[in-house]
Amino acid sequence: MDETVRAVSSRSRVAVMSVETRRNFGTVRVPAGLNGLLPALILIMLFFVIPVLALLLRSVTEPEPGLQNYAALLGDGTYARVFFNTFLVAALVTVATVLVAFPVAWMLAIMPSGLASIIFGIIILSMWTNLLTRTYAWMVLLQRTGVINRTLMTIGVIDHPLPLINNLTGVTIGMVYIMLPFMILPLVGTLRAIDPMTLRAASLCGASPFQAFRRILVPLSLPGVAAGGLMVFVMSLGYFVTPALLGGTSNMMLAEMIAQMVQSLLNWGLGSAAAFILLVVTMVLYALQLRLVGARRTSGGI
Amino acid sequence: MLLDYDRMGWLRVALLGFTALVAGFLLLPVVFIVLLSFGSSRWLAFPPPGWTLKWYQELFADPAWLNAALTSARIATMTAILAVAIGLLASFALVRGRFAGREILRGLLLTPMVLPVVVFAIAIYAFFLRLGLGGTTIGFVIAHTVLALPFAIIPIATALEGFDKSIEDAAIVCGASPLEARLRITLPSIRIGIFSAAIFSFLASWDEVVVAIFMASPSLQTLPVKIWGSLRSDLSPVIAAASSLLVGLTLALMVMTALLHRKFRT
Repeated sequence: MDETVRAVSSRSRVAVMSVETRRNFGTVRVPAGLNGLLPALILIMLFFVIPVLALLLRSVTEPEPGLQNYAALLGDGTYARVFFNTFLVAALVTVATVLVAFPVAWMLAIMPSGLASIIFGIIILSMWTNLLTRTYAWMVLLQRTGVINRTLMTIGVIDHPLPLINNLTGVTIGMVYIMLPFMILPLVGTLRAIDPMTLRAASLCGASPFQAFRRILVPLSLPGVAAGGLMVFVMSLGYFVTPALLGGTSNMMLAEMIAQMVQSLLNWGLGSAAAFILLVVTMVLYALQLRLVGARRTSGGI
Repeated sequence: MLLDYDRMGWLRVALLGFTALVAGFLLLPVVFIVLLSFGSSRWLAFPPPGWTLKWYQELFADPAWLNAALTSARIATMTAILAVAIGLLASFALVRGRFAGREILRGLLLTPMVLPVVVFAIAIYAFFLRLGLGGTTIGFVIAHTVLALPFAIIPIATALEGFDKSIEDAAIVCGASPLEARLRITLPSIRIGIFSAAIFSFLASWDEVVVAIFMASPSLQTLPVKIWGSLRSDLSPVIAAASSLLVGLTLALMVMTALLHRKFRT
């Protein structure tokens, strides 16, 4: 037995050596395998990094060199409102998403797999359905004469249609709808990784279910909640489509303002300065999220 | 106890009820839009007074919709091919390469996924205006490939990390050239990753709205741009018909993915 193991291992060592030898005599590869990165790097440098840097440059050169665009953005009450609104919506959406997603992820983590796969199917279907399709559906559902208002009026809950669209309510509903899968799916992983024994131990030691929930389940799932919540917050900050269609003029968000400055007002200086602010905030929060997730690496294993 | 499905008592009932409610919330717009597309009311009254196919007839009678769909399909196909090819090469380097700055390069290649699309959209719009690529198919494909690349790299690199490289080495020891070993041993083994990459990058382009709004010209419109334009003017039921076809496409893609996953596993 021992003999065969040794024989196999020495054979495989030979194999590995010969592979190494072949590699050394193969084509000249400066750092092993870097060639493969070239097409991707050229694409990203030429059509991502350079355009974005060029845009940021415009924020300090147009209409004339200087920081006047940033001064205008940060000094003006109208723009301050947009910044405030953006953070308000992102925060609201994040809190609502976490609160709704947690119980669902909890159930999904422990449910029998047959039932769970139906729920997963529904989540994937909603996530993969065209973004505009989903937003259009909410526009129709939430409008003054929409199904939701009519149903509520028929039941007798309300006398007059509620303003559900073109305001904060509409944006929040639409955005929570879009963000839910991004919160539920990673959270299921976090909750599945918790050893059920820790909770059984808690209850054996006399903890009530509520105590076990507050002092065991919540703290253990907090890293997942924080990472997912931060991701939802970052995505919401820069969201364009849903706020533009479901929001109102009085609560415009940053992304929509940037698009408007460039597209309608042709004010590239101001637009790119606002874009730069959005970029910095996003990247700082993203770095924070990466740190939170830490060694466990986000983005599916790589 | 809290993580034991069979011993949760009333809590399980409450949580299951809530989960069902959320599932209903997630399903509501999708089902609603499909029902609406067959309703006869132009004013989107629901439940509809009668059922009809006229919105589909109107949709197919308007060449602008068909053209937009074909344009989207063309751009998304080219994007998927490019993103998978570039992503495949990059993934090999990222997973197997050992060089300084690998983490930084990986981060750089995944940044387009994180940066708010509106920032990239106005940046590439300005850049292409200068290069004369605005409103061209090639411009669309390049911009969408940048956005789709992370969605191609992530599944391929994940699959590649799960693949035991010694199998490839064994093939080389047995006389295969390194290229042959990669093509005939490694690629078939990571095909689920490659397949997911193709679907994700296709969808990344097919559903992309923000860059498309800036890049589109009157003569070159993708489907999302066409829907966007219609949404801003009125909420016509024709959009519901187009949306329902998109839901159908999503379902088809999901079924295809599930079937292929099953086939690859056995």
